[in-house]
This record gives sequence, C-alpha cells and structure tokens, in this order.
Amino acid sequence: MKGIRNNRIKAKLILFSVLVLLLLLAAAFAGQISPYNPNQQNYEIALDPPSASHPFGTDRYGRDMLSRVLAGGRTSIFSALALTAVITVTGTAVGVICGYCGKVIDAVLMRIADICLAFPGLVSALAIAAVLNGGTVNAVIALAVVSWPKYARIARSRTLAVKSSDYIAAAYLAGDKPMQIIFRHILPNIAGQVLVTAVLDIGTMMMEIAALSFLGLGAKPPAAEWGSMISEGRSMFQLYPWLVLAPGLGIFVSVMLFNLLGDTVRDYMDPHSRQRG
Amino acid sequence: MKTKTIRRRKKRIFSLLLVLLTVCMTGCGGQAGDQKEIQTDTGTGEEGEYKTFVLGDTTFNAENGEEDINPHNENGGWACIRYGVGETLFRFNDNMEIELWLAKSYENLDELTWKITLQEGIRFTSGREMDAEAVKECLEALISEHARAAGDLHIAEIAAEGMELTIRTEIPVPALINYLADPYGCIYDVQAGVTEDGIVQGTGPYKAVSLTADTGVVLEKNVEYWNGDPKIDQITVRTISDGDTLAMALQSGEIDAAYGLPYASYPLFENDRYTFTGCATSRVFFGAMNFESEITGDPAVRKAIAMGIDKEGFVETLLGGNGYPAAGVYPDSFSFGGDAVTAETYDPEGAKAVLEEAGWTDTDGDGVREKDGTPLVLRWLTYPSRQELSLLAESAQATLGEIGFQVEINSTANHNSIRADRTAWDVYFSAMVTAPTGDPEYFFTYHCLDSSDSNDGHYHSDKLEQLAQEMSQTFDTDRRGELAVEMQQTILDDNAYVFCSHLRMSMAARAGVTGLAAHPCDYYEIMADLDVEQE
Repeated sequence: MKGIRNNRIKAKLILFSVLVLLLLLAAAFAGQISPYNPNQQNYEIALDPPSASHPFGTDRYGRDMLSRVLAGGRTSIFSALALTAVITVTGTAVGVICGYCGKVIDAVLMRIADICLAFPGLVSALAIAAVLNGGTVNAVIALAVVSWPKYARIARSRTLAVKSSDYIAAAYLAGDKPMQIIFRHILPNIAGQVLVTAVLDIGTMMMEIAALSFLGLGAKPPAAEWGSMISEGRSMFQLYPWLVLAPGLGIFVSVMLFNLLGDTVRDYMDPHSRQRG
Repeated sequence: MKTKTIRRRKKRIFSLLLVLLTVCMTGCGGQAGDQKEIQTDTGTGEEGEYKTFVLGDTTFNAENGEEDINPHNENGGWACIRYGVGETLFRFNDNMEIELWLAKSYENLDELTWKITLQEGIRFTSGREMDAEAVKECLEALISEHARAAGDLHIAEIAAEGMELTIRTEIPVPALINYLADPYGCIYDVQAGVTEDGIVQGTGPYKAVSLTADTGVVLEKNVEYWNGDPKIDQITVRTISDGDTLAMALQSGEIDAAYGLPYASYPLFENDRYTFTGCATSRVFFGAMNFESEITGDPAVRKAIAMGIDKEGFVETLLGGNGYPAAGVYPDSFSFGGDAVTAETYDPEGAKAVLEEAGWTDTDGDGVREKDGTPLVLRWLTYPSRQELSLLAESAQATLGEIGFQVEINSTANHNSIRADRTAWDVYFSAMVTAPTGDPEYFFTYHCLDSSDSNDGHYHSDKLEQLAQEMSQTFDTDRRGELAVEMQQTILDDNAYVFCSHLRMSMAARAGVTGLAAHPCDYYEIMADLDVEQE
C-alpha cells in the first residue's frame, strides 16, 4: 500500500514538474514561438474574434492576443518567480539570524516583521507600489516588502527547534564557527519546509502581481501582462469576451499548475503523508 | 458518550453558523436599504401619475470640481445648469450661437457699457422675484468668489433698476455676453443663500431638495416654472464615477439614462431598447510641445510628431467612430473651425524624411534615431481619467515608434504637478473644452500667450501676441472669426500644439425617455421637456 502511494506521489511530481517546465519554456521562448509581434498594431483587424490565424482573437489595437498572452506570460511568471525567490531568501536569512542569535537582534527584527504583518498585505502593497510610481519591478518590490515576514517566522521557529538539538551542541563543541553551523547544520534541516512554502506561494504571488497590474500599478504600456490585459478588456467583456478570457486562461492554467506542483512537493517531502497510506 | 459529545458540539457549531448567517444578512439588508434611500422614492402606483427619473453621471464629483451645484464653486455651475436647477442670462443654440434666456434683450452702449433687460414674471424656487437687483447681487457674488469668472468678465460696476441691468467693465470685453452664458453665470437667489450641502435656489425647471457630495442629488419639479411645464415629479442624479459600472446600471434598469459611458460599451445601447444621441463638442484632445526640451525644441521633431499621429485610425478604430479627427482648435460646427485651417496630416514616410534631413538617424540599428549621441526618446505625459488620452498615447507609441521615436508614456493622475516641471516631459496631452462660450479668444488666453497660466511648454510667438492683442479689442464677430483662423494657423505652422480629435458627446437612455439630447456645449441636459414613460 505504502509503496503504491509513494509511487503515485512520485509520478504526480514528475508529471507536474514536466508541465511546469513546459510552461516555463513557453514563457522563456515567448519571443521565438509567438506567431506575431505582440506590440504590432493593425487597425484593420481590430477586435477580430478568434480564428485560425488568430486563435485568441485580436484586441482593440489589432494586436494578436495569443502573442500577447505568451509575452504576458513571460512578465507574469518570471516576475512571480523572482518575487518568490527574493522573499524566500530574505525571509529565511532574517529568520535564521533571529533564531540563532536571539536577544536584541531577534527582538528588533521580529518586531519589524510584526509591523509588516499588522497591515493587510495587498493593501499595503498597493500603497507602496503607488508611491514607487508603478511598473513591474516596483510592483515586485512592493509585494516583497509585505511578504517576507512569513518566511522569517517559519525559518525562525524551525531554527529554534533545530538549535536545541544535540548535534548542534556537538558541532559547537567540535569548534565549528557560527556560520559553519548555520550553513552546514541548520539550513539543510529547515530547507524542506521553506521550499514547500515557497512553491505553494508562487501561484499566490502571480495572482497578487496580476492584481496590482489590473489596478494599473504593474506593467506599463505597451508591455503585455495578464493583469493589465484583463483590466484593458474589462469594459469590452460583454461584446468581445476573448479580451478577458485569453489572459484569464493564462492566469488560471499557470496558477493551477504551480499550486498542484506545490501540493505534490509537500506530499513528497512530508513523511506523515507518505506513511499514512 | 463520545458520539453524544460530538453531536452536541455539532449542534453548537450549527447554531453559531446560523447566527453568523443572520448577522451577515441583516448587514447586507441594511446596506441595500441605505442605497435605496439615495436612489429614489418610487411613488408609482397609488397616485398613478407620479413620475420619477434616475440619471447616472460619471462627472458629478469633487475630483471633477463638481462637489455641489453652487455655480460659484469651481465647476459647480456645470452641475447646476445640467440638472435643470440654474439658468443663465443668455444661452447657446445648436450651432453655438448666442440666444436670450433669462434676458429679454441687450444693448452694447459703448466699449465698456452693456445694458441688459430681463424677462418679467420669473421667480426663483425660493419664491423671490428675479429682478435686476437679484441678478446684480448674484453677479457681484460671482466675481468675488470665482477667480476665473472675475478674470473673464472684468466687471467694474453694476447698476440695477427695475428689470434693467447696466454693466460697466474695466476694459473692453467684446465677449461679455458669451461669458455670461458660461455655467458659472447661473443666476440664483443670493439672499436665500447656499445651504451647507451646496444647494442654491435657481430659476430652472427643477429644484434640488437634497445633495450629498460624490453620491448624488435629488431634484423635485418646480411647479411655478416660467418657461414650460416640467413633467417629472422627482429626478435623482446618481454619481457613478466608473464607466463600466454606469453601463451595467443602465443595462439592469437601475438608472434611466447615463452620461459618460465608455466608448467600448456604445454598441450595447445602439438598439431599439435605448435612445442614443450624440453631437460634436468643442472638447479637443491635444498635445502641447515643450519648447524647453532638447527633443521637442527642435522644429523638425515637432513636425515629425504632427505627421506621425494617425488621427483617422484613432477616431475610426479606437473610438469606434465616436469622434472627429481635428485639424485645429475648434470643430467643424464653428465658422472658424474644422477645415478653415490646414494642419499636418498622417504621413509616416514624410516624417522619416523630415527627421533624416534634420540629422536624426538610426546609427546603431536599434530602431531609435539619434543625433549627436542623443536618442530620440519622447516623454509623453498624460492622465488616465479621460479614457481617450490613454488610447491615443498607446496608438501614437506604435505609429511614432515606426518613424524612429521611442515613446515613454507617463499616464498619471499626478500630471498637474509634473507638467509644472519642464524638465520632466516633452509632450503633454490633455483634453479641453476650447470654446465653452462659443467665442474663440478663451483658448489662446488660457494656453498660448506669454501671460497664459497654462502655457505649459513655454511657447512664444510675436505674431500670435500681436493677433491676440488685436482680438482683445475687436467687437466685430466676423473679424474675431478671421483672427481666430489666423491665430490657429500660427500655432499650427510652428507645430506648437497638435490637435488630434474632437469629442462626440453621447448620452444613452432607455426607450421611453424623451426630451433628453446631447448638446454641443455639453452642459444642457435636464430641461423642462424631459419626459419618461413609467415602466
């Protein structure tokens, strides 16, 4: 029983990893696989419905929606990945330092984290992005500022648990320096949980970046981004639904894939879940 | 034992959920009730004839300077006149020619003196009779409270006697009668005063009974109206600032008519179930060039920009034909507008040649031209609250891009502070009603002269200054028209401004609404002949 379940999780993991890899490749090579230039305007074919030559139709400027969804994917997916990487690294570093050093450093950094957590995330991100004057990079910065404390909390509590283990005391007695202890003994032992949280977060981050773009604080014209594309098409939804459905499909598929991958990675890393079967 | 405890716990959770649900529903119900209060008190049925009407409007809000309907407060006059509360001494017909309204006749005694005789038998909704004394009080309040009005009218002294009003100006003001037809010239009873909410007592077919800034105003029929019989008992104007929400409100029947619908929603209302009217206005979408910029300081670059914007394509495709490509400052409906002037037309190849000749070439093959190491980057400043401006920016970004420009769009609500800093932008695109009073002088004094407050790009032309000087002393309407043509041609020859399109103002109402039509001046909406068939 246990073996079958393990195999099933492994198979799922491989399947979703391959699908996510395909998604990443499609986004990375959007420029090469797009049938048209995503910014090329052509008023003669403006607002054409989906057809063989334009599978997702065209927008009000006559730009090909498929090419724009692909180009938008690059912005949306890679900025979500970059954002997740930044908050994971920063949050974990802060958490480990706090957990390991304790005392004043812990108190100060954790109170800063508490302050960040005290405000509703997306609302503070909105305010920060507005002050920074929009743009994809600024949207990522704004979301990073409000999202890192979660990782700091996880890393800190795990570090505290690991720190009291005997093997840390042994390493200390063996003459290891604090940096060696952190990199050799603490980080490898807390990495699993942080990684699972990070993978599960990619989808959420993608949605939040899209939300900021939808409100006009993300990508700037003519750059394609899923959130801003939905916002542009919003007023034409009743008459030209493909303007919203095409980028919506992009968000739906990629967020779902990253979430499924995250769930599977969690199942795979979690010994309880593997043994329960 | 165990199952019993679980059952009890389940019961508790269930009742807790039930309580929560009830609380939520009460909360929602309360909200709906509040909204209804603002919406309308539909009294149909019992009395049978009680007629109500709801108008949705995107512009009746503080952001737009229309916090209330006090004509002496910023743009409050627009709301005052649009919603049938106030009326002016003179008004415009469909060709934007001046007509009498509250005034019965007028006479220009000399360059500085005007005699205006008022209609008799008109009462304010406060009950007071409108005589020369009441009008004098109102105009005196106007020039002390409204800076733009004071600057336009230059009134030195007003004398009132019975129904005769004599106005003496400090300097000759040839367009005085036109200025008195501006919405700020709505006449209201100053003695009755302005309420805390900003309600005034005018002479119009409707009187305001309650007003909440950014929410709306409720109007009731003025039974003693002097110029006809208002047909609707109660009108509610609702502020709905988002265009898409407005369109959906009209579709759902929540409102009877809408002002400010997004272009993209027009096809939804161009059918039998709705009345859709539109007409050309003098609101123009135009760009001002920055003469202090290294890029737009070059006449060749300005010419290339004027030749590189596809006005026809913008109007036909992006506005769905709901506009008019512009040549100069004024639309076709004006004798000195439309084709009376000649402007550059869309010619990408010609624009490339102009740039090439001036030394702007693409030496590194990246698609962007350079000259002496300076790339041809155009910083395009505009703002998002007028949907046309964003569409125009993105359209020009593509067409100018093909010519060798790199257009960087900055579309921000903060545009007013940025445009004051002349190092921060190269072209500034905005929208403006160029002839709100049918007279051509306003645009130039506002935008193009050394003394203009809004000469954002520091444009200067000796010829234009001279012509403006002449216009300020010319009383003959035909000559003023000729001067207007010469002045437009001067700024177009310098490519100091590029005029892209004129607004076609449209309104939609559900079928059954009559007497509501778009007017070229954009500020006559609710009139005495507005009627509605109750559903």
